[in-house]
Order: sequence, then C-alpha cells, then structure tokens
Amino acid sequence: LSGKGYRPDGSSASYLHPGGVGHGTAAAFDKPFGRDFVGLQNSKNNQAPSPVIWYGDYVLVGAGCEPGPGKAGFRQAARAGDGTMKTVTLKDYKERMLRVLVHIQQRLDDPLTLAKLARLACFSPYHFHRIFKGMLGESVQEHIRRLRLERAAIQLKLSEASVINVAFDAGYETHEAFTRSFKAMFGLAPSRFRSDQRPLRWSRAPSGVHYHRGKKLQHFKTIQPGGVKMNVTIKTMPATRVAFMRHVGPYAEVGVTWDKLLPLMGKEGLLGGDTMFIGLCHDDPEVTPPDKIRYDACVTVDESFVPQGDIGRQVIPGGEYAVTTHFGPYNKLGETYAKLFGQWLPRSGREMGSTPCFEVYLNDPQSTAPADLLTDIYVPLKTR
Amino acid sequence: MTTPAKIDLFQLHKAEYAAARKPALVTVNPASYLAIAGQGAPGGPEFTAKVGALYAMAYTIKMTRKFAGQQDYVVGKLEGLWWLADPRRPQVALPREQWRWTLLIRTPDFIQTDELCQAAAAILKKGKTPEAGEVKLEILAEGLCVQMLHVGPYERIAESVALMQTFAEGKGLVLHGVHHEIYLSDPRRVPTERLKTIVREPVTKR
Repeated sequence: LSGKGYRPDGSSASYLHPGGVGHGTAAAFDKPFGRDFVGLQNSKNNQAPSPVIWYGDYVLVGAGCEPGPGKAGFRQAARAGDGTMKTVTLKDYKERMLRVLVHIQQRLDDPLTLAKLARLACFSPYHFHRIFKGMLGESVQEHIRRLRLERAAIQLKLSEASVINVAFDAGYETHEAFTRSFKAMFGLAPSRFRSDQRPLRWSRAPSGVHYHRGKKLQHFKTIQPGGVKMNVTIKTMPATRVAFMRHVGPYAEVGVTWDKLLPLMGKEGLLGGDTMFIGLCHDDPEVTPPDKIRYDACVTVDESFVPQGDIGRQVIPGGEYAVTTHFGPYNKLGETYAKLFGQWLPRSGREMGSTPCFEVYLNDPQSTAPADLLTDIYVPLKTR
Repeated sequence: MTTPAKIDLFQLHKAEYAAARKPALVTVNPASYLAIAGQGAPGGPEFTAKVGALYAMAYTIKMTRKFAGQQDYVVGKLEGLWWLADPRRPQVALPREQWRWTLLIRTPDFIQTDELCQAAAAILKKGKTPEAGEVKLEILAEGLCVQMLHVGPYERIAESVALMQTFAEGKGLVLHGVHHEIYLSDPRRVPTERLKTIVREPVTKR
C-alpha cells in the first residue's frame, strides 16, 4: 500500500526481545560467553480466539468464472480426479494475464473496468490490480494509457488527422492534457513529433507489450525477480479477534484514526503485552480514489471485549497467508506488495484468496526512524 | 491555540545517546525509567513476559495521558541493565539461567507513581499481562560513562566492552557500574550482523 506517514501510535514493540549481555564486573568478560539470541517464534502472537463472523463485503470469484474447456488453455488449481492437487504455475498466471492483454489491445476504445478485466483472467477483482502491476511492471491504467498514446503516435505519423482528433481518440478531453502526457512519453509535443523527420520509435516497455494492430498478442515478459531476494513464508493463522476503528480517506491519514483508537484502548488497559497492531486494507490505494479508501486500524482483543462508540469488533479470517516483511517507510509498502504479487505469487504455485490483506506493525513509528520500520504483510491464499 | 509539541526524550537528550563505533566519554544525567527486574536467559519465558509487561505499562500510561489531553510524548527505546557474574565472586560467570537483569524504558519526569498504579490497575483489571504490577518507576544516575555503538550480534557485545575497558584504562578510569544496553534495532527481523546497540559502562577514577 502506498500508505504514507505513520501508522500505529503504539506498536507491538512488546515483541521486541533483545537479548542482553550483562556482567557484574569487567572480569566477567574474561570468558567468552556464548549467548544464543532469542528465538522469534512468537507462537503466542498467532493464537486467537475462535472465529465469530467475518465482517466485510468481499466478492468471491468462483462461480461463473471458470471458462469452458479449451478456452485459452485456461487451467485452474483444482482437485484432480485422483484427489491430488494441481498446482497453479507461472504459465497459468501468464496465460490468464495474456487474455487480459489481448482484450485490452482489441478493445482499446472501450471503457476497460478493472472488474471486467479481472473477470477475464479469473482473478479476484480485489487483488487483480496488484498482480497485473507486479507482473507487467506498470499499472492497468498506465498500460492502457501507454497503448493509447502509442496508437496516437502512429496516427500522428501516418495519418492526416488533426492533433485534437488524435487526442480525443486517445481518450483525452483537452489538447493540453494530451500534449502533457504525450511529451512525457515521447519527449516531444505532438505537433513537433509529427513534423520531426526521425522515424517512429519508442523505448521498450519491460513487458515487451506495445500497441499492435492486427496481429494478436502472443506473449509478454514478466518482470524478473531482481534485487534483494524476497523472503516469503507461508503461515497458517488462526482467526484473530480484533477491536477496530474504520478509516475512510487517504492512506496518508490513517495515523489520525490510530491516534483516536489507541488512547481509547490504552486507558481501559486493553493494550497488553502481547497486543498486535494490525492494519486491515480493504482497498488498493492505487485503484480506489483517496477519499474512498477503507482501512481498519485493529488491535487484538479477547472475547470479553465489548464494542463501544466508534470501536467495532471483527474477526480476521484464519487460514494460510503468505507473509513477508517490509523494511522501511510506510510509503514504500506498495513496492513490496508489487514484488510479492507480481514476482513471488505467480511462481508460488498458489492463488490468492479474496479476503483482504493486512499489515502487522512491528515497531513504533514515533520512536523509530522511517528506514528502520518493520511491517509484516499478510496476503491470504486460496485453500488447496 | 497551540498544543505543546510531543516530547521525544531520545532527541531531547541526544548528547547522552551519542555513540560512534569507537568508545567515547559521555556524561549521563539522572533520568526516570519504567523498570522491571527479572532473572533468566534473554528470550526465556520470564524475559519475554516482562518485556511485554514493560511495553504494556509504557503504552497504557502514555495513552491514558493522551486521552486526557495531557502532554504527549514518544515511548522510549528498550534498554537493559545486566549482571552476568556472581557479585561475591565477580570472576565467575553465571549460567544463563541465573543472569539477572532490569529492563528499562526512559520516561518523562512528569510521570508519577499514581499514574503508574492507575495503569497497572487498568491492565490487571482486564486480566492482561499479570507482570504489569511489577513495573516500577526508578531513577538511574549513571554520571560519567564510556559509551559506544555496537553493530552486530548480541553475542559479540563482550568484544565492544573489551574495547571500552581498554579505552577507560587509557584515561585512568575503571568500569564500576552496571552494564547498560540500549536497543536501537529490532532483533525479530533485522539480521544479527546489522543489529545496533548502544553499550554504556559507567566509569570512575581509578
């Protein structure tokens, strides 16, 4: 998530288990003393009361989604006749994504909604955008905009259409907006580009997908895992009971909600030693308009907690989650999500569930430098 | 109307936390801490429970004040005082199970005992974290200290202490207080070779 600013006011810093070395006198240091450091298996963290209800409104992709046999070679992880599991491979992910890319190329002038594109690929609409961005290296909107601009560039060079008509065709309402976007991509204003003698060319997109009329798109390149190796573990989580306050608005402002929730919980003695601080993310900030983003600031509680005022109660569903740690400021969380969805997931043999992702804040943003912040990202996986 | 800025003791007393990779002298003024004492190996059940209790108290006190609209402050970093050796026979290192320690979180002076008791009562009433009742408010006056930043696993802090001892001796000083560690990194995820810890040794003239 591209959440900015700070998250919880407090943190589950109670999980901090620094070892310590001590001595009564310097003489004690004459001997080397082996000291293994503190295991971090907080099995305690993961225990939660049994589930009650899952609060939320998630669309489950399932019925009506599975295409008939032979349709673009689509395969889904499914129970095979002999009862063994079939794994979803990178190839499956690519085939499904290719259908989306072909559709975009063929229907570049249609209103291309995320929900519709997600349906084509049989991805949960909730997670589709992130998988797309992670695999293609650009968001769905950026991809569509780029293709429309590439088509506009071809029109400028090869047709007599006026610049303003080319702009309209590319989905722009004003000459200025078109010029701005065009210049940003091709380095020249549309009229200059048209009169320029140099041949039509553009820099290659990481996915290798460019506007192409006629021939059907056959393949594309996924972003290769690079940089620091991503450490992802699959954890089975019990259902987790939480008290929460809903934030509706920009991610950058979720701190305001934490600032309200934590004093209310704290004064009641509800921030115990093993309390976890969780952000439940109902929307992807890259898709949902900032003023509509729903985010729940959550604190783990036991069954005796009674909802009061603006503080509600819900149960985060248990099950298998892919978990990775994001190191650094909250406004860079989006990069870790993209890597997890686009690089790890398609190679994991797994598919995502359709419940929301959540974030567990491991330290206190007030006393921790942004570069040292630690956040565990939990992504739900479909049961197999 | 302006609300007073949040107090951050770590920033406010920067000079006391100054630590480079080489030993240096610092003077540490008396300071107020939330403290909980215990015994046993770091990471053992008692240690873990008490770290939790200390944080529970720190956040409950802070949040109660915040709710009441009183002066807000940043909860400090975790610190620890350690006794590794038998005080009667200081040359003899104790087994891990017998290590004694006091875990600390520095707290503004305006936090008083009544707030501490109120917070403990609130936590205990909710049946959470029974060790919360053991957290005390203490003042630690360390005065002149040798201090340095240790980067790496906790197991190798002894090497830094040896450097500090040599440094102190060069200045005609001896380590005479309780070994003090201030944890800047979170060992749950940070690789051990990157863990940062301020190591502080009170000293006195030989």
